Amino acid sequence: MADEEDETGYDEEMDDGSGGVDCGHGKRKRLFSKELRCMMYGFGDDQNPYTESVDILEDLVIEFVTEMTHKAMSIGRQGRVQVEDIVFLIRKDPRKFARVKDLLTMNEELKRARKAFDEANYGS
Amino acid sequence: MADPARIKPEALSERITSCKEEHDKSDETEDGPSTSKTADENKDSSSQDQSNQDVKSEMAAGEDEEEGTSGESSSKRLKVEPEKKKKCQKVDEDEIQKMQVLVSSFSEEQLNRYEMYRRSAFPKAAIKRLIQSITGSSVSQNVVIAMSGISKVFAGEIVEEALDVCEKWGETPPLQPKHMREAVRRLKTRDQIPNTKFKKITFN
Repeated sequence: MADEEDETGYDEEMDDGSGGVDCGHGKRKRLFSKELRCMMYGFGDDQNPYTESVDILEDLVIEFVTEMTHKAMSIGRQGRVQVEDIVFLIRKDPRKFARVKDLLTMNEELKRARKAFDEANYGS
Repeated sequence: MADPARIKPEALSERITSCKEEHDKSDETEDGPSTSKTADENKDSSSQDQSNQDVKSEMAAGEDEEEGTSGESSSKRLKVEPEKKKKCQKVDEDEIQKMQVLVSSFSEEQLNRYEMYRRSAFPKAAIKRLIQSITGSSVSQNVVIAMSGISKVFAGEIVEEALDVCEKWGETPPLQPKHMREAVRRLKTRDQIPNTKFKKITFN
């Protein structure tokens, strides 16, 4: 019973996402079409993925970002999104956690490298 | 198709990330087309950087061992850490070599796909605009970097699951919306898709 409720709710959500209520959703310009195509090819899909699949994936990604942002706003410092909040939310998922740690570490290293490079230039 | 070795959260903060990631960043900042030759050159130069980093962290490990003679438990812990660092570096080096061997044996189509996998990313400006439209206030650069990275992993999880579904149903790519929806349904039961809108009521 509860499963059925969950599923119909889920179905409505998917249908609305692709074109109804969120007539706003459907009419809104597609933000990530090109990048998502390349990404889907990279992850194993065909070289020319279907436009509908790309649309579904874009809606899912936007929903994911929205959910994460809302959650991050409600923990830690209220009303703001900070990196620590994101890391906290992601802690249970090993893949995403590892990826975030790697990205932030690399970013720090690159900043340090750029700073050292600039200082070397300035010195000479 | 995701990086196979990225599923160890324990040794993360101590691990020096492989030059593979460095290579990834340097690719993103490069202009113009990248051929497989320049990719190999990058790897060679960054493996030299890696050996420099190895020397530095071994010196740091030596310092740690000197300081660690004060308390017994702390000395044990400090002894474990440099060993772990050395082992992790060795593991990284092996991993880097294996990746190099693997990538050098790719076919043309596989190279294309791998290049797309590494280079594709969400535009930071659009993600920043999206987050700011939700929060109403500005967000830092690191938040945008983290969020776009996680979103790419998320998209990858969905595509991989959808490819599994497609194969299981005996169909071929390109992926159709029904595969995507089934993939989302499966991921939801595994709790990998955040959902704060509809809450399941077990007992009513």
